Amino acid sequence: METLALMGAGFVAALTPLNILAMLLSTFIGVCLGCLPGLSAAMGVALLLPITFGMGPATGLIVLGGIYCGAIFGGSISAILIHTPGTPASAATAIEGYQLTLQGRAAKALTVACFASFCGGLLSCISLYFFSPLLAELALKFKSPEYFWLSLFGLTIIAGVASKSLLKGLISGMLGLLISTIGMDPMEGVERFMLGVNTLYNGIDVTCALIGLFSFSQVLILAEKRITAHREVTKVRDRFGLSLKEIRRLSPTIVRSWLIGNIIGILPGAGASIACFMGYNEAKRFSKHKEEFGKGSIEGVAGSEAANNAVTGGSLIPTLTLGIPGESVTAVLMGGLIIHGLQPGPALFTEHADMTYTFFAGFVLIQFCMLFLGLLGCRGFACISKLSDAILIPSIFVLCVVGSYAIHNNLVEVVIMMLFGVLGYLVRKFDLNAPAIVLGLILGPIGERGLRRSLLLSDGDPSILFSTPLCWMLIALCVLGVCSHLFMSRLEHRLQRTQLSAPQSD
Amino acid sequence: MKIRCVVAGCLLAGLSLSAAAWEPSGDVSVIVAYKAGSGTDTGARLLSAKAEKYVGHTLVIKNLPGADGKIGWTNLVKAKPDGMTIGFINLPTFTTLAVLPDSPFKVADVIPLCNHLTETAVVVVKADSPYKTLTELVAAAKDKKLRCSTNGVEASNHTAAQLLARSADFSYKAVPYGGTADQLLALRQNEVDFTCAKVADIAQLIKGDTPEVRVLGVFSPQRLSSLPEVPTLGELGYYDKWYGSARALVLPKGTAQEVVDFYEDAFRKTMTDPDVIYAHIQAGLELDFKDSKELAALIKEQEEFCRDVVSTLYQKPAK
Repeated sequence: METLALMGAGFVAALTPLNILAMLLSTFIGVCLGCLPGLSAAMGVALLLPITFGMGPATGLIVLGGIYCGAIFGGSISAILIHTPGTPASAATAIEGYQLTLQGRAAKALTVACFASFCGGLLSCISLYFFSPLLAELALKFKSPEYFWLSLFGLTIIAGVASKSLLKGLISGMLGLLISTIGMDPMEGVERFMLGVNTLYNGIDVTCALIGLFSFSQVLILAEKRITAHREVTKVRDRFGLSLKEIRRLSPTIVRSWLIGNIIGILPGAGASIACFMGYNEAKRFSKHKEEFGKGSIEGVAGSEAANNAVTGGSLIPTLTLGIPGESVTAVLMGGLIIHGLQPGPALFTEHADMTYTFFAGFVLIQFCMLFLGLLGCRGFACISKLSDAILIPSIFVLCVVGSYAIHNNLVEVVIMMLFGVLGYLVRKFDLNAPAIVLGLILGPIGERGLRRSLLLSDGDPSILFSTPLCWMLIALCVLGVCSHLFMSRLEHRLQRTQLSAPQSD
Repeated sequence: MKIRCVVAGCLLAGLSLSAAAWEPSGDVSVIVAYKAGSGTDTGARLLSAKAEKYVGHTLVIKNLPGADGKIGWTNLVKAKPDGMTIGFINLPTFTTLAVLPDSPFKVADVIPLCNHLTETAVVVVKADSPYKTLTELVAAAKDKKLRCSTNGVEASNHTAAQLLARSADFSYKAVPYGGTADQLLALRQNEVDFTCAKVADIAQLIKGDTPEVRVLGVFSPQRLSSLPEVPTLGELGYYDKWYGSARALVLPKGTAQEVVDFYEDAFRKTMTDPDVIYAHIQAGLELDFKDSKELAALIKEQEEFCRDVVSTLYQKPAK
């Protein structure tokens, strides 16, 4: 009862005119930042963190939350319109979203992304409120062996994202894993493949690699073709909005992605970038319209976007309760929370309950701001895709360079980004799989640390990897991940064959 | 080239003549060698925001992270010594890197300004651990190899554990984790038997009626005022000097003395402001102002410690 009163008081405190203005503005800024390739949510929050120092704690926290949520959603806009995910979290959205844009259904894709982001974000607030203590306990149970299995489970997603050829998907994944070994060895402190470059000490920065693989390679691909004055295919011809039927069709996907995103968010180390692929993959696996995948599926867009926005609420749970950020954005966010007087820990729900619940309420209201701004601004944002290549190429080029420089104010990372751009270009030419490389890059270090630390703890005895029920659960998930994909693809083939032999209805 | 030098020289001379009491001519850059939102950054931003009142200009944080501080500090020592760039260093990390033979910066490349924060290292076990005292922990460690989580290979908390192990003469298994938060989580998950951390890192975990961890000893010659019941390592006959980390402000080599005086005065005023002291308590940061002389002594001590002690610390004991 007391908790309910505190929750209510939180909403009252969050609904001051100043706070509402702060929500709208910060969400808008977040969306704009997220839209720009290379300006990730973590960078957006880091960039604007100093501005919040002058504000009251509640307003400051709300601003940070607004930028976070806005940026995660904003990433989908550029992913859909120009095939360059604004943030790593929208990498999977680009797959289906851009196909829809090519078909002239950009507005539909944007509406779906906005709606799914709103639902994912709002649903993740429920768990933030009610499952906080429970979910935090689950994450606390993850030890080194569990992390190894978690990363392996993550790698089984490669089978899902590699739609054309499993072999090429695996090659790409291995390439990602190999690249992830660059940098300081986490267990022995030995330099690996650093070639004397200090910047590589902490490994290749994932954001930097992403900008190169997805955005800079796009510049090369675009520049390769003759520049056309006007891009016809990307005109937004269709209307914004969703029919009730479409909402009904998307709901199971959104709920599934919410669950995935939430759990991923709570697990430290795994962030929105993994969640979007998992959400996308599961949307594909359970879809009744599998044939649309790869050719522009609204379920694919919803699956990815609901998942990455569900991460936001999820990753706040361990950040707030345990002081363990679930991903890079919340790591930055945590710094802001501490400065505003919210020390992570159990005291949040006792001593500082009023402030905590105001932040939670703000987080709920931010989702509505996002929906409002997203639907209202879609038409404005959609203009980006009408731009001619002559403007687009230099713009993306500049944003790539500025973005990769801005991550750590380091020129070496611009060079690394460009190298990844060339790699991304080659990857496309050889039909390899860029998302699989990214998965390898993100999951490699988590898996390596998990495995080597486990073996160090057990004196080299591998049975430690099978020692807890949680391990077995994750192993089961891995097996399920691989088998279900094999089974599904066989089923898909059979369905396609029967469809081919049957007279085409449309 | 020669002409340009002469012109520059004249300009410099003219500037120094015209400036009676030095003060910054615009926004001051503050180099932080760790990323935005990190512990170092959080403290630096808090102090910088408060110091604007006394410096008279905006202090702009420039995050130059990477290679555990190496990139930021290389930039710091190369910055123009005109007083428009100051920077934070972390001890002992800065001196650890500076004493390496191929280091791009040396301790002499910076001018000490003042110390900001000090964090003493502590030995911690889980609240329900069978080891109630440090003596019990050491006795158990001599009996069987205990596991200790660290915040990275040869990182600050690994050094602390190593100092304890050397002085108490036991061997243990050091398990490196990604950072202090992960390292402490491993302790709370029972994945390791004990760990060494800084007092601020565990402040939240020892609060309340059901604390999660127990502090067995502090790396300090005297007991800490915040943990009066916890014995020092020296009391029990182990390592008897101070060990921990400090964050301090420095200027690049070649900065004029009047500039040093200006900032020292400004930061002294900032750090004795009751408002600022309260903000640090709120943020759980241990404010510890030391003037330029005291800081110089601390840096020198840390340099010797890194050169003479740490370099031999990780060598396998000859048996």
